Amino acid sequence: MASNKKYWKSVEELNENSSIVEKLKQNEFVEEIPTDQFLGDKETLEASSTSRRDFLKYVGFTTAAASLAACEGPVIKSIPYVVKPDDITPGVPDYYATSIADGYDFANILVKVREGRPIKIEQNKLAGTSGTTNARVQASVLSLYDDNRLKGPKANGEATDWATLDKEVVAKLNELKATNQSIVILTGTCSSPSTRKLVEEFSAMYGNVEHVVYDAVSESATLDAFEAMYGERALPEYDFSKAETIVSIGADFLADWQGGGYEAGYAKSRVPKNGKMSKHIQFESNMTLTGGNADKRYMVKPSEQIQVLLNVYNAIIGGGSAKETSVNEGVEQAVKQLKAAGTKGVLVTGIKDKNAQLLALAINKALNSEVMDIVATKNIRKGSDAKVAELLANMKAGKVGALITNNTNPVYTLPNGAEFAEALKKVSLSIAFATTEDETASAAQYVVAVPHYLEAWGDVSIKKGEFGLMQPTIQPLFNTRQFQDTLLKWTGSSQSYYDHLKGFWKSSILGGTSWNTALHDGYYKVGATVERVANEVDLAAAANGLASSIKSSELELSLYTKVGLGDGKMANNPWLQELPDPITRTSWDNYLVISRADAEAKGLKNWTVSNGAMNGDMVNVTVGGVTLEKVPVYIQPGQAPGSVGLALGYGRKAAVQKEMQIGVNAYPLFQNFKDVQEVTIEKVGGVHEFACIQLQHTLMGRDEIIRETTLEDFINKPKEDWNPEPKISYEHQEANLEEVDLWDKFDDSWGVKFNMSIDMATCIGCAACVIACHAENNVPVVGKDEIRKSRDMHWLRIDRYYSSDMTVERGREEGIYGSGEFFESQTHPSDNPDVTFQPVMCQHCNHAPCETVCPVAATSHGKQGQNHMAYNRCIGTRYCANNCPYKVRRFNWFKYFDNNEFDYNMNNDLGRMVLNPDVVVRSRGVMEKCSLCIQMTQATILQAKKEGRPVKDGEFQTACSNACSTGAIVFGNVNDEESKVAHLKEDKRTFHLLDFVGTQPNVFYQLDIRNTNEA
Amino acid sequence: MKSVIKHRAILRYFLASLTFILLLTSQLSAQTGDPEKGKGLFNANCAACHKLDKKLIGPPLEGISEKRDREWLHAWIKDNNALRASGDADAIAIFDEYSGMAMQAFPQLSDQDIDDILAYTDNKPQATPASGGGVATAASLGIDSLEVVKGKNIFNANCAACHKLDAKLVGPALANIADKRSSEWLHAWIKDNAALRASGDADAIAIFEEYNGSPMTAFPQLSDEDINAIIAYTSHADILEPKAAVAGAEDSNIAKLPASTAWITYLVLFVFALIALWVYFMSNNEFLKLVTTIALLITVAYFGYAGLMGIGVDQGYKPLQPIAFSHKIHAGDNKIDCEYCHSSAKHSKTSGIPSVNVCMNCHKGIAEYNGPVTSDKDKAFYDGEIQKIYDAIGWDSEKLAYIEGYEQKPIQWVRIHNLPDFAYFNHSQHVTAGGIKCQTCHGPVETMEEVEQFSPLTMGWCIECHTTTEVKVENNAYYAKIHEELSKKYGVEKVTVAQMGGKECGKCHY
Repeated sequence: MASNKKYWKSVEELNENSSIVEKLKQNEFVEEIPTDQFLGDKETLEASSTSRRDFLKYVGFTTAAASLAACEGPVIKSIPYVVKPDDITPGVPDYYATSIADGYDFANILVKVREGRPIKIEQNKLAGTSGTTNARVQASVLSLYDDNRLKGPKANGEATDWATLDKEVVAKLNELKATNQSIVILTGTCSSPSTRKLVEEFSAMYGNVEHVVYDAVSESATLDAFEAMYGERALPEYDFSKAETIVSIGADFLADWQGGGYEAGYAKSRVPKNGKMSKHIQFESNMTLTGGNADKRYMVKPSEQIQVLLNVYNAIIGGGSAKETSVNEGVEQAVKQLKAAGTKGVLVTGIKDKNAQLLALAINKALNSEVMDIVATKNIRKGSDAKVAELLANMKAGKVGALITNNTNPVYTLPNGAEFAEALKKVSLSIAFATTEDETASAAQYVVAVPHYLEAWGDVSIKKGEFGLMQPTIQPLFNTRQFQDTLLKWTGSSQSYYDHLKGFWKSSILGGTSWNTALHDGYYKVGATVERVANEVDLAAAANGLASSIKSSELELSLYTKVGLGDGKMANNPWLQELPDPITRTSWDNYLVISRADAEAKGLKNWTVSNGAMNGDMVNVTVGGVTLEKVPVYIQPGQAPGSVGLALGYGRKAAVQKEMQIGVNAYPLFQNFKDVQEVTIEKVGGVHEFACIQLQHTLMGRDEIIRETTLEDFINKPKEDWNPEPKISYEHQEANLEEVDLWDKFDDSWGVKFNMSIDMATCIGCAACVIACHAENNVPVVGKDEIRKSRDMHWLRIDRYYSSDMTVERGREEGIYGSGEFFESQTHPSDNPDVTFQPVMCQHCNHAPCETVCPVAATSHGKQGQNHMAYNRCIGTRYCANNCPYKVRRFNWFKYFDNNEFDYNMNNDLGRMVLNPDVVVRSRGVMEKCSLCIQMTQATILQAKKEGRPVKDGEFQTACSNACSTGAIVFGNVNDEESKVAHLKEDKRTFHLLDFVGTQPNVFYQLDIRNTNEA
Repeated sequence: MKSVIKHRAILRYFLASLTFILLLTSQLSAQTGDPEKGKGLFNANCAACHKLDKKLIGPPLEGISEKRDREWLHAWIKDNNALRASGDADAIAIFDEYSGMAMQAFPQLSDQDIDDILAYTDNKPQATPASGGGVATAASLGIDSLEVVKGKNIFNANCAACHKLDAKLVGPALANIADKRSSEWLHAWIKDNAALRASGDADAIAIFEEYNGSPMTAFPQLSDEDINAIIAYTSHADILEPKAAVAGAEDSNIAKLPASTAWITYLVLFVFALIALWVYFMSNNEFLKLVTTIALLITVAYFGYAGLMGIGVDQGYKPLQPIAFSHKIHAGDNKIDCEYCHSSAKHSKTSGIPSVNVCMNCHKGIAEYNGPVTSDKDKAFYDGEIQKIYDAIGWDSEKLAYIEGYEQKPIQWVRIHNLPDFAYFNHSQHVTAGGIKCQTCHGPVETMEEVEQFSPLTMGWCIECHTTTEVKVENNAYYAKIHEELSKKYGVEKVTVAQMGGKECGKCHY
């Protein structure tokens, strides 16, 4: 709007002749009702033996039978507790503080428990950045109710009991001890201090014991570099809220880089305060979440990224001469900005090379960066690639007597997983601790079923000096025993792990604080007090080593993890499978992302079929002699030419439901623990069908839905220039919106009136809110086929818009404004586009177009500002969806529960335990949509009424605002003048979506600001 | 003082009359009929209008054969109209006394039947022979029944928390304790058992040890008289029993009277049907046919609509429950607060069916039922129902302890109020915030033997209440500002739920 940019969501939209785009603009439901299929086929009709009379008979009988059957209501049982636990009041949720530490995701969280069932994960705001939740943490509650979990211990594939298992294992362990054979405990990152102590005790008892830590996607390089420089194998912490300049070379720090958790700090620096905000420059090959949020993004091939780092290093410390790269200007800018920011500058890199990480550390040290914290380091990645490689070699050589794995799945995640499985056979005792019978567990002799983290005790130290407790929030669902309890048993202790944990905390951590307080808070901070003196590291050698490691190839593959599946631990979680990737907007898949240029060169295409779904070509991908067959190709705007990307974590088969054994397993390409590989691709026949929702829900060609401006304009120009009030043409004159209105005024100045503010400057598109909404509102999972038909049910979607960096100003300067070339340069998708994320849910219009067209008044306006949807009243005409300018209404095409066609969590008793009992499960044929979590707002009001007090600001929350770790979503009562949301509404960045339509939404947005300032 | 005198008078009169009746009737009844059979006949035929001890619709019948001679009674029962018609003075007097309301005739009863009934009415007190005997001996032994009553009161106030007469509770059973221990010893023990033990009394120490060293509370406040009264009660409690038994002989058969007006409706319908048939088949008046058709259509439409509207409305739904739990006994007779058992009503959306451990708060001590009984629900029946709680939770009512390792069996109640899933209802909103009494929606539950759905639970019913009910804004700071703004807006003192937004769809449907 302000910058007259053109925004698009799919390359298809840039094709002026695309009939599909036009069709989608005009018609939300693209597919005609396929009446022809059964009416048009005359032959079948005639061949049918059912006559018209028979048909009428059947209809009559069915009607009569149905009415008779309906005469008697079902008898519903109501079964109270025999002895009610004191802390449970049926119908009132309890919250317990606990922690997730599954080896990939670590967070201190709160768990909402209803009648003994955990149903929702919330942030633990006491724990600061360690308490934030991403999409996977939000979705982890569903994995608790996974029917494919192990239901008891197993020995050699047969079910066994604990006594037998203990007896056999202890006997064998003693045998190994007697002959002094090596026992190896292989775990994922274990940041539990009490567990580490237990492992020590186990080692002391059985002598030759080694604890090897293995992360599927490791940060070994950083850990080694930090150890070399500061003497401890740990990860530095970054507080981006202090940053003025952020330079990232291939680090996707808003997603999973070094374990993630940086988004809250980052967002704080992205809102202009006193005319200042951070400047974020990103050099990367794949288009990532972080790149999408950057002020300036440069497309750089992985091999060239190393040179970029070297150039920055040379400019700041080394003094060597810069080598030519394709982004010289960018590097220059980055160096200038870093130098200008001084202690408020920071450089991070995702290059998995010890030397590269050393240089990054050195640069930050040279800048004396406040952003990097080397004292309160992070403990959430500890894996050592070298040790794992050594272990495998030892296993092959028959030098390992026993292998105990916990919380890790090397058979799946190692590139040579099959070799590992083979080598495991040479180990005389193999024991796998696992929640599901995954690839590794199926290869082990003994499988110890362990509980889900929501059923277990434990502790975690995410950061140095900060501790979190893990406590059970439900009785164990299956016959499981946790790793720690088992270790205690095997070391001959009669103590339970709970007692051990409590004793350990009291003696080693708590000091004088009470155990109950710590358990209640779930988080306990001691504070880190380490004196760290940097070792002398030969940086020149590191730089030289790094320079010599550059090995450019024609096509380079970057392996990455998606915000949905991560490393693939939760592959059997349908919420995560259905979560559209924030960048590609594609769910239920992984695919090879490729640049337009490379795709054209190889003759690879993506195209959109008649119903709006996307299809694509497939390729064989070969890395170091390993070929993955039939990998679909996704042409990604912003992908660095000469590079491709493929997500890890897909294609899991063991203990994964058939519907979710989807995508290709990219771990075989993750050779030598390197995420960058030289790759060759070869087009093969066949068409891949994507479940991509980027073309759906277009906005009738009203492109002004996005607003953004530059920091410069924001500071220097009046609001009218970059965020004008809407004007419409009325009787051939420009008129203000209030002058022309179809609807009557409605007095909502009294009582509560809800508004929601969404700040596009701080929204990073992480999709935690989408999963939170899923969990809170019983949103069904519909599966890949339905998503393809644009029948996704997400109440909250995060639209991703691309735009080019060509602006009107730049066009004028370059003298191409107004010409075809200008248009071309704005829209050519091979250009590196800017990315904007915009969460869109029902806008809760005060003058709602959906309400006026409903023939049965099923959707109506509430005084509190919420647009109500009475499902029991809805007859499914879908007029409302048709008339909604924001396309936020979702139609239940099918019964998504208790239906074998949709065999996800709502189709089995276990999975249904996650449902929120305060929200009805919608049936087939009704429309549904965001309610602004009316069940939560009503509960808050009721609580205040019962306590006889007004509602305080901040008490009103929705699932999405609660889950938002950057604080981009703010919810509250706008009639309360002191509330945060009331202040935000008056902010000059505020605008309403499609304000000129006159719908007066109760959801408003704060426009995005890009820091284009140059140093 | 006054009340004591009054009590004394009543009690004396009562005991005297009982004794009198008993002594006289016990001789007569033996020859004339079978009281057991008589009881059945009485309940089937007479109990709708008569009770033994009280006037109901007709006079009390206890000992009636003493008042009237048998022949007269036979004649009256078989056909009282005829008796009156014959000019019998007594019969006419009774008729007048009861405002000219004739008693139903029972020609079907044989002479033997009537004798059986009379045997029952005369013999009634002997239904509990022990008490009868007790009364006889009480009088003859010269027991001061007043003292027994006093003792009962003191016992209930001080001892009953830990003692029962006939069974062990926390402490030992106390019936006839005077036979076991001397009066002096009892006095000393009750006043200060610790001192008694300290004095080295062997019995005292033995008891202390038998009950695992848990000492009994000392009662220094009890006077010697009081203690004597308690001892009297423990020794002669049985003399007070008949009162309960007699008072309990009420019957709920009144409810079973056939609805006498139903036949009128059927008759009217039948007449209408005849008229309609006549119009269609016999009459040639076209206009009449048209009118009848319209009338018929309207009638069908009316009843059809009413019928259809009633689908899914389960007003009056009274399913059979796994335990014949009587709200009448608990909430009515014993006046237990609704929220004592349904404690989550004030906190939660659900009122909560009490868990068994809530039942056990009282039923640890109440293992048997001693209230009024009816023919189909006798004491054994109620005791059996209480036993079901023990079976669920695993309580050993002999040892007065929970059975260890017992596999508890949750009680599967049948849900009565079934609101559909798409309607959200929150009890605490109505109970705590709204201050609405349970009975407003659930009806007079305290009078219900078996609970039934009192309200239709239709949306119209909800809306009607929301439209008329004023919000309870007093002393609630939540409403302070809202009420001020709203009352100005609507120009009213009190704001209704609907004006506050209580009729919006989304407030209940989400």
